[in-house]
Amino acid sequence: MLWWVAQIMVCMSMLELARKSRRTGLSPIVLALPVALFVLLCLSSDTFRSLENLANVNSQITALMIASLGQGIVAISGGIDLSVGSVMSLTSAILVTADPAWGIPLALAMGVCVGLINGFGVTLFRVHPLVMTLATMTFVQGVALLLHPVPGGVVPGYLRTLAVSQVAGMPAAFFWCTAAILLAWFLLTRSPLGPRIYAVGANPVSAGRNGIAVMRLKVACFVLCSLSAVIAGIFLTARVGAGDATMGAPYSLDTVTAMALGGIQLAGGTGSVLGVVAGVITLGLISNGMNLLGVSPFLRAALTGVLLLMAIGLQRREAIGA
Amino acid sequence: MSALVCAAMMISFDKVSKRFGSNFALRDVSFDCEAGSVHAITGENGAGKSTLMNLLAGLFPVDGGEIRLHGKQLSPKSPADARSLGISTIYQELTLLPNLTIAENLFLGREPVRLGRIDRSGMREQARSMMARLGSGMDIDTYCGNLSVADQHLVEIAKGVSADADIFIFDEPTAALNAPEVEKLGELLASLKAQGKLVFYVSHRLDEIFRFCDRVTVLKDGRHVETRETRALTRDGLVSLMVGRVLSKFFPARPARSEAAPVALSVRDLQVQEGGPAVSFDVERGEIVGLAGLEGQGQRDIIRALSGLEPSASGMVIKSGEAGSAPLAFDVTKTVRSGVGFVPEDRKTEGLYLSLSIDRNITLGMLRRLNVWQLVPRRHDVIAELMRRLNIRSAGARQEVGELSGGNQQKVMIGRWLAAGIDVLLLEEPTRGVDVGAKAEIYELLREFTKGGGAVLTLSSELLELLGLCDRILVVRQNEIVAELDGAQATEEEVMRHALVGRADNGVHVDA
Ligand SMILES: Nc1ncnc2c1ncn2[C@@H]1O[C@H](COP(=O)(O)OP(=O)(O)OP(=O)(O)O)[C@@H](O)[C@H]1O
Ligand SMILES: [Mg+2]
Repeated sequence: MLWWVAQIMVCMSMLELARKSRRTGLSPIVLALPVALFVLLCLSSDTFRSLENLANVNSQITALMIASLGQGIVAISGGIDLSVGSVMSLTSAILVTADPAWGIPLALAMGVCVGLINGFGVTLFRVHPLVMTLATMTFVQGVALLLHPVPGGVVPGYLRTLAVSQVAGMPAAFFWCTAAILLAWFLLTRSPLGPRIYAVGANPVSAGRNGIAVMRLKVACFVLCSLSAVIAGIFLTARVGAGDATMGAPYSLDTVTAMALGGIQLAGGTGSVLGVVAGVITLGLISNGMNLLGVSPFLRAALTGVLLLMAIGLQRREAIGA
Repeated sequence: MSALVCAAMMISFDKVSKRFGSNFALRDVSFDCEAGSVHAITGENGAGKSTLMNLLAGLFPVDGGEIRLHGKQLSPKSPADARSLGISTIYQELTLLPNLTIAENLFLGREPVRLGRIDRSGMREQARSMMARLGSGMDIDTYCGNLSVADQHLVEIAKGVSADADIFIFDEPTAALNAPEVEKLGELLASLKAQGKLVFYVSHRLDEIFRFCDRVTVLKDGRHVETRETRALTRDGLVSLMVGRVLSKFFPARPARSEAAPVALSVRDLQVQEGGPAVSFDVERGEIVGLAGLEGQGQRDIIRALSGLEPSASGMVIKSGEAGSAPLAFDVTKTVRSGVGFVPEDRKTEGLYLSLSIDRNITLGMLRRLNVWQLVPRRHDVIAELMRRLNIRSAGARQEVGELSGGNQQKVMIGRWLAAGIDVLLLEEPTRGVDVGAKAEIYELLREFTKGGGAVLTLSSELLELLGLCDRILVVRQNEIVAELDGAQATEEEVMRHALVGRADNGVHVDA
């Protein structure tokens, strides 16, 4: 088994990733980890290999994927957003309490508001993003619980169809994931905003002198992140089929874990969509695999921590910016 | 179009003042500039040159008076605003982003867009021709963080001149460049001038001022001293305007050398890279040794290896001092602990803590011999004395280093090691961005340091500096020391001959 892992790592490093890793943060280990986990799980569990389970993994990680892509954009711009989970929770609460026709627009508007508050707090009032988003996280969580204290309620039927139906033999989750990944990828690598986000993350002062509206860009990143959290919340609520004002709670930190596994540096300026995808898949496989192998939930948490440390320890950390 | 630009466009500064806290960085500065000319701004470190230019660049607003363009008030609100008003700035401190490629940096904030996406191929093509205009064939897809400081300045210049602007500001663009690149820049300035643009050229280098510029404005302590045609000035006249006194001697006298001075640093078979050529030389106590040569011939690598920044280096380096002799490890921490100080060429990212105060930056050097549990000494007396000797222009010892003018930052950097009680100093570009008066002061300080038994190894892209300062000059070519010259006798021609000549026969060594 170890031989496999070693083999894959050697192949990856031969891809000469090092040269490009300056900005993408993609080290061989980032990409090898999900592949190695996948191979390992295939070999050790028959159930894992079944198409059914793979579709299941896909839909399990979709919410995390969408939220993490938003987190990734904020991280590359040099921030961090801990309110992601609460925004998902509040989205869920809104969807089951509001009029079905208004649920989604309301949730999106809420996302824009939270993003604006985070963004202005960080830029205009110079609160550290960690503190700022911790505050909104707590506040938004409170609002969600006020709005919808007991889990339950009815999710609009069309949403349920959008989240759990199958299209051409593929689970709908697959299309949600793909769309989100493509959007984020376009934004970071094809649109003119891409280089600017990287620039602001690496050095906001220099970026400003290059004529970039640093404040506006940072605010926009926070808004995008909150919006992606809203969409992740919509998907999750639809998949679960009921509203729950705490359903997003674990996502605040899970998205950050995915950043670490994906080589996205919280100092800003380094990271890539491929990294986010790799990080999310790694995290998803760990939890699905341990579930299948019958590892107890407590041990699971501890093992995830150890794996995270190992993965980060193996990454080549290169300070950027100044 | 030419009719428009030929109409003598004029910028006039009218009693412009700028305050930082309670300090005036500029006070009632008034002068005019003409279109189609290159206007030099010069003066000592901290005189307010960059501040004046930054007002034009939109970094901060004017506090008093006004700037007029064609008689209309000009007040750019942000760098982006200034750019749209037709003002392009090349800042004194690098503004390239390390994680973007050259092409991306050149077009940052004004990317060519087609159908909502960056037109990559068009952008790269234009980037290539922009770099080619400066005579540089750099790969435009490399990340700027991987470039040398000189190359980064070239990219910075390319970025500045490619803007569609009427006013161009060059804030000490040549501080990191060497002769051929400066020539190219001269041509660029001439062509901008021919197109009827107004160019501000901030520099400490007198020869460039006289060669490139039509008029020169001298600032001192935030006040306007003079604006004159360069033709009507002599070198000494300009220096005395800047310094306020006549500089009698620029370089300190070289003390007579006794034959048997003890060796401070003995370098044997130093290989910067495995398989590369090996160099051997000694630096004696009381001696200033300079590494000369063309840019990128390996001088920098040698100094970096000695300072412990190239972990892959190999060879035998023995450092002898009061505490006895010991081999140097290729490790920064150990090198500093054994009494070797290093001043990097890029002080902003490699040397200083910009957000810490002056006294803290200096104190950092003194910490090297303390253990973690010992209290940090507050040596106000030492720091005050040092700041006085270095003539650091500041609002006080508690001012953040990031707020100091470029030249004063350099003095803090050197001051740190002088306070640290080290006995070997490795200096890259000891006076980059430093004004003439302060240069003389730094040379004097280095001399004093060696008189006290210290040894200095330095490199500089200004050959005249090495010739004036050093006791001995080692000429480096293709990572090898090809000549050793007596600093007092060496001439520019001699050094250049060794640095250039014999490339053909040298090829044999390189291939081996
Ligand atoms: N952001 C700032 N905050 C506080 N003080 C500042 C700031 N910028 C500049 N100063 C002060 O204003 C004065 C003028 O600085 P400036 O950078 O204009 O000097 P300079 O003429 O460009 O010098 P140099 O040749 O060293 O670059 C200095 O005393 C400096 O400490
Ligand atoms: Mg300056």
